[in-house]
This record gives sequence, C-alpha cells and structure tokens, in this order.
Amino acid sequence: MATPLWAIAVIIFATLIGAFGALMLKKGSAKFNLNIFQQLKNWQLILGCSLYVLASAITIPTFRYGELSVLFPFVSLSYIWVSLLSIKHLGERMNAMKWLGIVAIIVGVALIGLGSG
Amino acid sequence: MATKAWAVAIVIFGAVLASIAQVLWKFGALGFPETKALVQIFIGFVLYGTFAVMFVYANKAGELSTLYPILATSYIWVSLLAMYFFNETMSLLKWAGIAAVIIGVAFVGIGSTKEVTA
Repeated sequence: MATPLWAIAVIIFATLIGAFGALMLKKGSAKFNLNIFQQLKNWQLILGCSLYVLASAITIPTFRYGELSVLFPFVSLSYIWVSLLSIKHLGERMNAMKWLGIVAIIVGVALIGLGSG
Repeated sequence: MATKAWAVAIVIFGAVLASIAQVLWKFGALGFPETKALVQIFIGFVLYGTFAVMFVYANKAGELSTLYPILATSYIWVSLLAMYFFNETMSLLKWAGIAAVIIGVAFVGIGSTKEVTA
C-alpha cells in the first residue's frame, strides 16, 4: 500500500499547526503558574494546547492509511518549523551546532520510520 | 534567554512521561473498551497532562529552539518500551535512528551554550 498524498499533506499541515502550538505554549509560559484559575486567562497557553491537540488529532488517522517509513520524516519537519518560528517570533538565535543537531534528529526519525516498515 | 540546566532536565524527564503515556494509550487501544483499558487511557492522559505542565514550566527558563528538540527523545523511549511491552522488533535501522536522535539532541544542547553566529 503506497502512502496516499493526502496523508502526507495532512502531516505537513499538522506539523505547522503543532509548531505554532509550541510557540504559543512558550509565550504562555511567562505567565504560567499552578493556579488553574489564573491560567484560564492565559490565552496563549489555551491556544497553544488547542493547536497541539488539533495537530495530534489530525495526525493519528494518517498513520492508519500511510506507512511509518514515509510519514515519520515529515513529522520531523516540526523541528525545523519550531527553530524558524523561534528566530522570527521569540528573538532566539540558531547556530551551526543547533542546525546540525536538528538535521541529525530528522535523519534519526527518518531511520526509525524506515526501520518500522 | 540562556537555557538553564534544570529546564533541560525537566523536559528530558517529561519526555519519558509522555512516552509512557503513549504506551498506555496503545494498551488502551488494544483492550478497548474493557474497564482496564479505560483506566490505562485515563492514566495516559494524566501522565501526558503532567508532561505538558512540565514542558510549559521549563520554557520559563529556556529557549524553545533548545527545549523542543529534546522531545525527540520520546522516539527513543517509545521504541524501547514497545520492544519490551509489545515485542516489537528492533532493527539496525531503528538503533541507528536512535543513535542519530541522541546525537542530534546533544548537538542542540551543546549549540545552545555557544555564541550565536546567526
């Protein structure tokens, strides 16, 4: 069974949503504490959780119709998105070592996916 | 913001919890809808929620581009747990992948302590 194109498209879309979710969680972390009532007003935290849950929800069905060896590498795109979003929206900086690490992670996830075939 | 070591430690441990949660969900999916399976799924949500709280808290003292890649370690734990609990087979490719992930997370960690170039 070949992996349908829609499954790959959904995964790519999910990684984008998930990455924005992570960005929102990071933004919400500044005001984060264990007071639940206060956190109900932490809109970035709530948005972040919602996006992350949405990303996970649409990802799960794709694994039923697609091969892990194909989908896993696309799932690891999230690490690239988060790095780029961190630069653009959080003022964080990347360097060669961090990018090399991201590449190694992507290769590793791809290998794990290949080995799960 | 420089990333504090304790924030890294929290995320590493959090990833372990998230991995255990995923194994519990797999158990739950297999046994659904028995009561035992529902309990496993529920505990899975508790663990995953705990991980989420830990991850957000750690981000108070660390960069997202440093802490987020640590979540990739869950691929390692899930592979090992699946090998033990579900008799899933390991392969050379999977071990190589795990090694690459470890190296990658380590590089990101090392890189986060270095002077920026970009």
